[in-house]
Parts: sequence; structure tokens; C-alpha cells
Amino acid sequence: MSALGRGFGRGGAVRAVEAVRPAVRVEGAPAGPAVALSQVSKVYGGGVRALDDVSLTVWPGAFVAVMGPSGSGKSTLMHCAAGLDTPTSGSVRIDGHEIAGLDETRRTELRRDRVGFVFQAYNLIPSLTIADNITLPLRLASRKPDREWVSALVERVGIAGCLDRRPAELSGGQQQRAAVVRALAARPAVVFADEPTGALDLHSARQVLQLLRGLVDEFGQTVVMVTHDPAAAAWAHHAVVMADGRVVEGLDAPTAASLADRLIALGGR
Amino acid sequence: MLHLALRMAAHKLTALIAVACAVLGGAALLTGTGVLAESGLRSHVPPGRLGGADVVVAADQEFHPAGDLPIALPERATVPAGLVGRLAEVDGVTAAVGDVGFPAALVGPGDGRVLPAEDPGASGHGWSSTALLPKPRIEGHPPSGAGEVAVPASAGFRVGERVRVVTGDRPSAASGARKPSSSYLVSAVVDAPGAGVYFADGTARRLSGRAGGPRAGTVDLIGLRTAPGAADSVAAAVREQLAGTKLKVLTGPDRGTAVAPGVSAARSMLLLLAGSLAGILLMVIGFVTAGALSASIAGQRRDLALMRAVGATPRQIRRLAAFQASAIAVAAAVPGIVLGYLLAGRFSQVLADRAVLPRELPLTVSPLPTLATLVLMLAVVQVSARCAAWRTSRLPATEAVAESRSEPRTPSRARTLTGLLLIAVATASAVTPLFARTMLGATSASIAGIVAAIGLALSGPALVKSAGGAALRRMRPGASAPSRLAVAGLRAHALRFSGVISPLAMGIVFVLTYTLTQTTVLAATRQDVRAGTLAQYTLSAPRLGGVPAGTLPALRRLPGVKAAEPVTSTTAVWQYQVFGETTSEPASAMILPPGGAAGVLDLGVRDGDLARLKGATVAVSSAVAAARDAEPGGRVRLILGDGARVTARVVAVYDRGLGFGPLVLSRDLAAGHTTVAAAQSVLVRTDGSATAGDALAALAGERSGLVLSGAGAGAGAGADAGTGSGSGAGQQTPPEVWINLAVIVVLLAYLLLSIANKLVTATVQRRTEIAALRLVGTTPGQVRAMMRREAAMVAAMACGAGLVVSAVPLVLLGQGFLGRPWPAGPVWLLPVAVAVLTATSFVALELPTRRALRTPPAEALRAA
Repeated sequence: MSALGRGFGRGGAVRAVEAVRPAVRVEGAPAGPAVALSQVSKVYGGGVRALDDVSLTVWPGAFVAVMGPSGSGKSTLMHCAAGLDTPTSGSVRIDGHEIAGLDETRRTELRRDRVGFVFQAYNLIPSLTIADNITLPLRLASRKPDREWVSALVERVGIAGCLDRRPAELSGGQQQRAAVVRALAARPAVVFADEPTGALDLHSARQVLQLLRGLVDEFGQTVVMVTHDPAAAAWAHHAVVMADGRVVEGLDAPTAASLADRLIALGGR
Repeated sequence: MLHLALRMAAHKLTALIAVACAVLGGAALLTGTGVLAESGLRSHVPPGRLGGADVVVAADQEFHPAGDLPIALPERATVPAGLVGRLAEVDGVTAAVGDVGFPAALVGPGDGRVLPAEDPGASGHGWSSTALLPKPRIEGHPPSGAGEVAVPASAGFRVGERVRVVTGDRPSAASGARKPSSSYLVSAVVDAPGAGVYFADGTARRLSGRAGGPRAGTVDLIGLRTAPGAADSVAAAVREQLAGTKLKVLTGPDRGTAVAPGVSAARSMLLLLAGSLAGILLMVIGFVTAGALSASIAGQRRDLALMRAVGATPRQIRRLAAFQASAIAVAAAVPGIVLGYLLAGRFSQVLADRAVLPRELPLTVSPLPTLATLVLMLAVVQVSARCAAWRTSRLPATEAVAESRSEPRTPSRARTLTGLLLIAVATASAVTPLFARTMLGATSASIAGIVAAIGLALSGPALVKSAGGAALRRMRPGASAPSRLAVAGLRAHALRFSGVISPLAMGIVFVLTYTLTQTTVLAATRQDVRAGTLAQYTLSAPRLGGVPAGTLPALRRLPGVKAAEPVTSTTAVWQYQVFGETTSEPASAMILPPGGAAGVLDLGVRDGDLARLKGATVAVSSAVAAARDAEPGGRVRLILGDGARVTARVVAVYDRGLGFGPLVLSRDLAAGHTTVAAAQSVLVRTDGSATAGDALAALAGERSGLVLSGAGAGAGAGADAGTGSGSGAGQQTPPEVWINLAVIVVLLAYLLLSIANKLVTATVQRRTEIAALRLVGTTPGQVRAMMRREAAMVAAMACGAGLVVSAVPLVLLGQGFLGRPWPAGPVWLLPVAVAVLTATSFVALELPTRRALRTPPAEALRAA
């Protein structure tokens, strides 16, 4: 049993979760964790405790899936971990930078330099071409796109023929793959994917997951994926399972079957 | 990044058209106003009869208040005659002529009618002035003695013929019994632009009142002819000699200012006009542009939110919105500005046609109005775009995406409060007409209406939401689906609807307050004039420059004539203290004989006695007396129409200031300070018998140039003083009223266009909603019915809100000016305004709805 699973018990008696240092180390990659949450709580107006004292560390090169039933707090976890939202208490460090206490503008700047996003709804801007969509975050940061890197990604992802088209002219799978390229274009420390296959058919979903896993394995990209689908989570190196705002399980090399069992067990509790 | 902004904008074309229209119209109106303002400051009439003078020395015809724009002075200020000889000796001067001008009208050969002249108040000159004409062709010999005259070629006389000339004799010429016109022998015919009637120099001096009296020893101006190429050096030398005096040395196009001060002064009317337009224009343009922009940005809210999600900072979002808007603004402003120059040209043409503006006055066309328009439009656009994008930009990135699909749920509290506050402030300021019975006081009523309408626009979403909620709760359970949908839509899309309702309401407010303010003031003015004018007849002589002095005694001798008094209007600059600072305000002033023409006018004296209107005294209107510390016995500081500074004692305060103006000067005070000594008109009161009327008509008929008309508006204050064009007779609508009405029509068209645009934009943005409705089984007929009900609600709410908002200022206005709680004006105004706005909202909703219904619903949803 690795460090990840160690000490997991029912009710989350041990709350610190370490996603293991991966076998593949990329040269020049930073030594510290890509994302580190420490005792993070998030309370919404009205007293809803969406996150309850969660700690989680994601090391560079890891592919982590966050699972859980609806309302378990997995989306809130992602929003806090990605700097989209600020925690009520606790510390969130992205690539070594603390985000607690930063204002919206500073967090945005931190995000666009170090975080990539893939959304369920693709979130490509309808009025811009795919090429413009891909380079948009870089332009917003006034950075020059690394042409070789972007065209390598485009090739790898297989959307080279669609660059001049608008999102509405592409299939869902193509749009999501374009969104993946956009997320990776700035070479972020970590990519967050929020139900990336939620809107896709089985075949396209499989392509996108294969792509994400491939990016992790080939380029050492760190990816955190939120999903409720055990079959999707099975593509990750590690899975953490959430319930009631806490991390209740940590699994290495999860399989769809084992994850489904855990979820059913949680649902039946 | 910025080219992306443009590409995003190009995707939302309908919304852009609205913004472009708003900017185009706004730029046209601003540029037009700018051209008028600049012309008011800088335009010169052509040098005309001074075209042959290389250098002109004349008095400064402007008063320069400290730290303010100069005020044009309409009455000729004089130059010492002794200067002519001194300037003749300046090196390079070949001729120096002291020019005098005085009324001298030629009587046509046939029917005894007076021939028109460019400047009737100064068409007579001495023969030496012909040296100042540009290349004159002269036939005949100079007039000599008192019986000869040279006439302009345009009059159609030949050398050797006899011609009758009416000269407005100065009383000081001690020849009160002179016949009204005398016969002269034409000694020469002068063919040159601007040529007048030329007398022997001695005769001219006598006729112009320079032989004695207050203007003795002066000339109107001095024209210098120089050796070829010496104009500049002569001008410099003359300037040096005259340093320290207030005289001006004019060359080139500037010479035009010296030709006729009254005509030149009329250009200041352009500046006033532009100034009074600017406020309302800026408000309406800002409102319309901001509205169009916020609709356009609302349409892009989702794109902007997505950009937030992929890493745009709030500032970047606002900058992007502002850049996008500015790019459109610049593109639309260019044709707008061109249109503005054309508009200004057309407008000044109309002004000239209605004799508000001298026909000779050209417009000054320079890039300045373009610059000002660009700066103003860009400022408006930048500020409104940033405000419109504010909410979306400030949202956390997660919420931005979630919210962008629907409307912001609650209208911002700050916005609602600001709106309500504006309405309160506007209502409070609407009481001004109760205290200040002046044009300025009345203007505050229309401004109050507009400010309240802007307040309405700000608080609109909250108001619409609560109104929609109330309607939904009251609705019978059995109400039809389209009605229910329409009301629910109203409540749910309060922001979008109020964006349509408030400009419509503003249209109503605008038309009602602005028009009715004008008509109410006009009615009150007429009431004043009617009540205060005891005379039944006005006798004037526009082509003679003034009523010849001999007319008055002749009138008084007529049977049945009870009283006949000369009345002249001029302009004086009134200096008074406001919060310890000196304010200089030009005011129209009536010149009355001692006793204040009590036999023909009743100014409604409240305090003091007009019988003491002798020497350096004035009477003032009660509307301004207290504020300017001008109670009887007090003293006022004035700058008369020719620039002379005087201090005068206040002898009376009168109530009918609205009808007769804020200031009455004693004849003694004004003597020698007007271009023409003769009175502009004579008011006559008879016993009312037909015999008296016939006798008057006979007298006016037998003396050339006299015009008899009913008394009434003749003595009115608004009459443009000093233009010399005869503020004569007739019940004509004063120019400012129809100018304002024209402005209302133009602005209303602009508002309507923007409203229609906005409605279309809003409806186009609802394609998805319409498609979704159809997918769940709403028939196209039901969708149309829903939209029509929405249009009806929109129109009803807009009219209701508009009426409520304009009611308060108008009631107060009526009370203050007419003593009754409703304004004066055409009754058809309200129904027509309501009908036009209702029709606009129906058409603008119906057309895009029909278009949206033509797209199959599934396709519409996919495209969105």
C-alpha cells in the first residue's frame, strides 16, 4: 500500500492525502507539489459547509481523479484548488503560490499562468476561431504563444484541420479536444478538468480520456479531473472519493469496478 | 488581444447597429452644435464696404468679462475724430478716412416705397468713405452741398435724376420740423459691393449727429489705405500708436467685425443657442449611447464570462468592452461628424431665412468641433461601456459562467438608490419656476424632467420587477397562456425590459416637459405683454433704421391719439455680485422716455416710480431685482450696448419682466450709446375709434417707410435687440421657441431610432427563448400574442412612468408662470406622443419576432 491509501478509514479520520510522486519524473519539473491544500474549509452563505477541513497534495506528473456523489463537494474542491474561488479557511498553494487572501485580479493572473481548465461545456468562445480560442489565455496574459509547442499539441490532439473554424462547426469531441489544447497551451503546472466527458458520447469521451492520460504519461503534465463517472476515473493514476465535504477514500490505480463499489457503498450509507 | 474584441463584436451585428446609430446621431448633433458655437465665437461677416481699406481702426465691439467668453456689443462704439489726421501721417498710409454711418433710405421712384438696404441703420455715409470701397466704379461727380447725393447702382437711379431720401434726423440737429424726406439731386452712381448712400462730408457729419450732441467729435471707424504691400507695417505702426487705448486695429477678414456691430453681435446668438442646446444634447446622447452599449454588452455577457473563466482579469474584460465600443464609436462618428457639418450649414440657412441670423454671416468650419465631438463621444462611450461591463467583470469566474446564461438576478441596489435619488433631486429642483419667473427658471422644469427620466432609467429594473411581480400575483388563474408568459417574462427580464421602457418614458418626458415649457413661457410672456400693453398700435420703420424724429409730434397731433411713446430695445451687460464674485450677464434692455411710457405701457410697477426715470436711472424686473440687489434707491453697474460703463440708480421694480425684459433704461442714460438715435418703434394708444385708426393709417401711408401694426409683441423682450433688422411688429412666434421645437423634433427622432434599435436588439437576443417556447408546444400565433402583450405592457408602463415623472415639473411650472396648476400648450401633444411611442414599441417587437419565428426552433437553439 502506498502513501496514498495509508491510514484511510471511514469518516476520514486521517485527512491528509498525498498523491504519490509518480514513477515518471520530468526533467526540470519543480520539486514541490503542483497543488497543495491544507485544512481547507469552504462555507457558503447560509452555513452550507461544502468543504470540511480537507487536505490534499498533488505532485507534478500525477493524474488524480476526484470522485463523489452529487453534493459531495468535489466541484467546490476543484474551484478552491484551482483558485477559481477562495477557501473560507485553510491554505491553498498552486505551484508553490498561496492563493488565500489574493483578490480576484491576482488570482486570475495566477490562474492563467499556472492553471489550465477543461470544462464540461467546453466553454469555447463562439465568436472566435479555434486557433484564437486556443491562444486566448496567452494573449490575455500578454504572452507570446510557443508556436512549436502549440502546433505539437494540435497535432497530438488531432484537430489540426479545424483551426480556422468556429466552435459551432465542430463536433463535441473536437471542441473538447480543442479545449484541452487551450488548457495546455500555456504549459500550466496543473490542468483541472471538470466533468470533461459529461457532455460527450462514449466514443468521444474515450478519446478525450485517452488524450488526458497520454498527456500525463508523455509530457508529465499534472491533471486533476473531477468526475462522477467511475469509468472515467479509472483512467487516472489515483482517485480520491469525497462525501459530505470530506475526502473519505484514496485509491491507487483505480478500476471502474472498485470505484463503482465504493460509490455504491457511500450512497447506501 | 484587441483584434479579438473586434471579432467578438462583429459576431453580434444587430446590437452593434444600435450602438453605431446612437454614436452617429450623437456625433452629428454634437458636431453641428460645435460648428454653431465656434461660428458664434469666431465668424466674421465679410468686409463688404470696407473691402478697400487695408487697415481699419475701430472700437472694441466686445465686452471682456474676467475669465469668461467675450460678450458682443451691438451698438456702434465710436472713435475720436481727431485720430484721423494723426493716422494719416503714419508712414505708408495713402489715405485715412473717418467713416460715419447713419440712416438714409432711398425712396423708390414709383410707388414711394422705401428701397431695402443691407444695414438700414447706417446706410448713409460721407463721400470720403467711398475711398474704402473695394474697387468702386463711380459715375458722376462727388456730391457737394446739402442738396446732392450719390446712390448705389443697385437702386436703379441715373446721374442727374432727383431722388427722395429719408434721413433719420438726430434731434440734436435742431431741425425737428424737417420734412420726413427730402429731395436730392443724384450727382453720382456708385457700383461696389456694400455701397450705400453718400452725402457731402459736411452734410454727413450733420446727419450722423457728429456736429453736436453726445457723439460730437467722433467717427464710427477709421479706414486706412496703404501703399502696396505696406498693410502689415502700417498695422503694426498704428497698433503701436494706439497702444493703451481700447481701439482695435483690424486687417484681413477681421475687418468684417467693424462693418456693422449689430450684425456682428447677432453671431453671439449662435453661441447662446449652442450653449442652451449643449446641456440637453449631452444628456440625451449620453443616455441613448449608454443604453445601446449596455444592450450590446448584455448580448456578449456569455462571451465575456467565458473569457473570465479562461483567465481574463476583470480589468481586461472592462478594457475589452471599452475598446470594442470605442472602435465602433470612431467608425460611426466619422460619417456622423460629416453629417454634423452639413446639419450646421442647413440649420444656419434656416436661421438666416427666418432673419434670426444675418445672411452675410458665414459659418466657421474648422476641425475643432470634430475634435470636441470625438473627445466627448469617446468619453461617453468609454464610461458607459465600462459601467455596462462592470457587473460581469466583477463576478467570480465560476459564477460568471453560471450566470451568463440568464439575467443578473437582482438589480443592483446602488443603481436603484441612485435612480430614486435622482428622481427626488429632480422633483425638488422643479419648484424653481415658483420663485424665478424667468426663461432660466422655466428651463429648470424641462431639465428636471430629463434628470428624473434618467433616474427612472436607473431605478427602472427594480420598479419593473416589482410591477411585474404585483401583476403576476393579481392575475386571475384563468388568464391565457400568452398573457401569463408576457407578465412572467416582464418580471424575469426586468433589466432588459426597463432598458426599453425607460427610453420610451424618457421620450414622453422629453416631449412633454420640453415642449410645454416653451409654450407655457410663451403663453405667460404673451399674457404679460397683452396685460402690459395699453397701446393698440405699433409704428415702426425697419427699412429706415428707426422711426424718424419728426413722426412723434405728428402722431401726437392726430385726432383720437391719447398717447404715443418711442420704444427702443438694446442690449446691456449687467454686472452683479454672486457669492462675492462679479458676474456679467447680457440682458435685453428697453429704452423708455421719462415716465416709462406710462400712457402706452403698464409694466406692473410694484415698487418705486417710473416718473423718476430720468438721468442715469433704470427700472428692473422683480424676477431679478432681489437676487441682484437692485431694489429702488440701489445702484446697478451696467455696460451699455456700445461698451460704455455706467452706474445707474434703480427707480422702480416692475412685475412684467417676462413680457418686457429684465431691464428698462432711461432715455437719457442710453442717449449717444445706440447706433441709431431714432426710436425703433412708437407705441400708440388711441381712443379706440375708427377715425383714430384711419388717421394713423393715413399718416403711416403718406410717410415713406413707416409700418403700422397692432401692438403686442412689438415691445416684447425677446426681440433680438440691436440687430437693426427691426424688432418690429407682428405676433410672430419668437425664434427661440421654434428653434427649441425643431430641436425637440430632431432629438425625438434620434430617441425613437435608438428605442426601436434597442427593442429589436432585445428581441433578437431572445431567439433561444422563443425557440424553447415553440419546442414545448407554443404556437407561432401564441408567441406573437405574447410579444404583442409585452409591447402593450411596455408602452403602458412607459407612458405611465413618463406622465408621472413629467407631471410634477409641469404642474409647478403652470403654477409659477400662469397661476394655475397646468401648463399651456397644444392638447394634441400628449395623445400624439403616446400614439407614436406605442406604435414604435409594437413595430419594433413585431418585426424581429416574425423573423425569429421563421427559423425552425431546433436550428435556432443549436445556433445559440
